[in-house]
Formats: sequence, structure tokens, C-alpha cells
Amino acid sequence: MTTTPPRPEINPAIGALLQSARDFLTHEHTLFSTLGLKPLLIGRGQMRFSFDTPASYDDGDGNVHGGFLTIVNDSIMGLTVFTTLEEFKPIATVNLRTDYIEPLKCGTRAVCTCDCYAIVDEIAFVKAEIRTENDSTLIATGSAAFMVGTRGPSKVSRL
Amino acid sequence: MTQEEAKAREIIDALAAKPIARWLNYSADWKDGALLHHLGFAEEHIGNPGIRALHGGVIATFLEFSAQVEIAVSLGKPILFKAVSISTDYMTSSKAADMTARVTIARAARRIAFLDATGWQDDAGKPVASARVCLRTGALAQS
Repeated sequence: MTTTPPRPEINPAIGALLQSARDFLTHEHTLFSTLGLKPLLIGRGQMRFSFDTPASYDDGDGNVHGGFLTIVNDSIMGLTVFTTLEEFKPIATVNLRTDYIEPLKCGTRAVCTCDCYAIVDEIAFVKAEIRTENDSTLIATGSAAFMVGTRGPSKVSRL
Repeated sequence: MTQEEAKAREIIDALAAKPIARWLNYSADWKDGALLHHLGFAEEHIGNPGIRALHGGVIATFLEFSAQVEIAVSLGKPILFKAVSISTDYMTSSKAADMTARVTIARAARRIAFLDATGWQDDAGKPVASARVCLRTGALAQS
């Protein structure tokens, strides 16, 4: 039987930045402050947040529009990339895929779990899944590539 | 306005009334016989306030919704067809401003359709992002 070696801790400087980012996102950011973001796990290369599904993202049938799930995936996957860095570097989303498995009723609280599983030649690879909080029904999966260390302020992460 | 355009306008208006469309400040018009889709910028579309760029997920949402409108108009049905998947490539940085998209239908089969949506801000020749969207268009497409 093989065991997965424990992941190293988050660099303290990056951890402090993430704390500031979390405070800003949950209290001040125009988009994220409406989502009731709650951190459940913050580790190196791993993050899990629960979040609300506001009616403003309703697709007209009482479910959140798929794009809302892509917004959550992109956001948490981007944050997850930061947890793997030794020093702060700007990042940018290169590409992003979402597969929609089940509809999610507006008002249902859900959980997004992300894993940054590789960084090769300054490209970080991340996968994500979104499940309902109450019974872990799989709602959507995601995968993305982020460029790490983009040059100049205009190329910084869209997060 | 031709009869065909009037029918399309009816469908667009029905879909544009949905909450997600209002959140996107979505609108559409015609240019050279093709639909142009528009995102009306709002503060809540910002991702990183430090650089005031559109959130990548918001761009993807706009492209996905544009594809949904395009196929609805093409099929003549005021239905927001559900997405199977979306894959978006981000080709250049965005700014805090409106975005326009054009959508082409790569293939509309009996149960699913594949569409390509490309969004830009100042220059149609310099796209910000491009998405391949797969939609359910069969009997199970409606929730």
C-alpha cells in the first residue's frame, strides 16, 4: 500500500496575503461579498469553501445559471494556486472548463473543493468540484490552467 | 424589421428577462444579418479590483448565455437550453467595460449542439476570450 506524502505548509507570507484577500472578498468585494463565502479548508494546493447561491443568478427555472458555478470555480481555483507559491506572483487564467452534472436550486448552500495538482513551466493546473453542502450531490466539475508570474499589472489575475 | 427578425426579437426579449440576463445587463442586436450579443458593464462584474478587469467567470457566463440565446433564436424556441459544458480560453486581458460577442453554431444535432462564442471589447480582431459551449437541445433540455 502506498501513502501520499504530506503536503508542505503554506508559505507564511502567502498565508498572510490570503488572509487579507479572504477578508476583502468576504466583506468588501462587490461580487463575492454576496456569496457568504466560508473557508472549510485552506492548505497548500488545496482549498474548500462553502457558498450561497443567490437568486440574482437564477436561470429562470429556479436554478443557478451554469455560469455562476464557473465564476465560483474560477475564483477558488485561482486562490488555490496562490497557496502553492513561495512568494507572491500575479497569475492569470489561461483556460477554464466546467462540466455541468446536476442543476442547483437557488438558495441551496454548496461547497467548492479545489486541488492545484501540478505547476510546470509556470503553468499551474487545478481541478475543482462543486457539491451540495447537505448531501454532497455532485453539481459541477471544473479544470483550469493558470499562468504564474504574469508581467505587468494588466495581466494580473482576473480574480 | 423582417418577420424573421421580429420572431427572433421576441425570443431574445423573453430570455433577456431572466435574472441571470439582467445580472449580465445582456442585450442583443443585428449587424450584417448576424446577432451581436452585449454585456453591459457593472461594478459586480469586476474580478480583481486592483486592476479592474472583468472576472474570468463572468466572461464565461456571458459567452455561455450568448450561445444559449443564439441556439434558441436558431431553433425558434424561447427556451434557455441547458449547458453540458463550457471551455473558455482567455487570450488577452479585459478591462472594466462592455463586451460584445459573436456566436457561431458549429453543429446542431438532434439532442445536443456545439457553439463557438468569441468576446471582445474594443476591437473584434483582438478577442478577449473564446468559448466552446455544448448545449442540450433535445426533449430533456428543459428542466
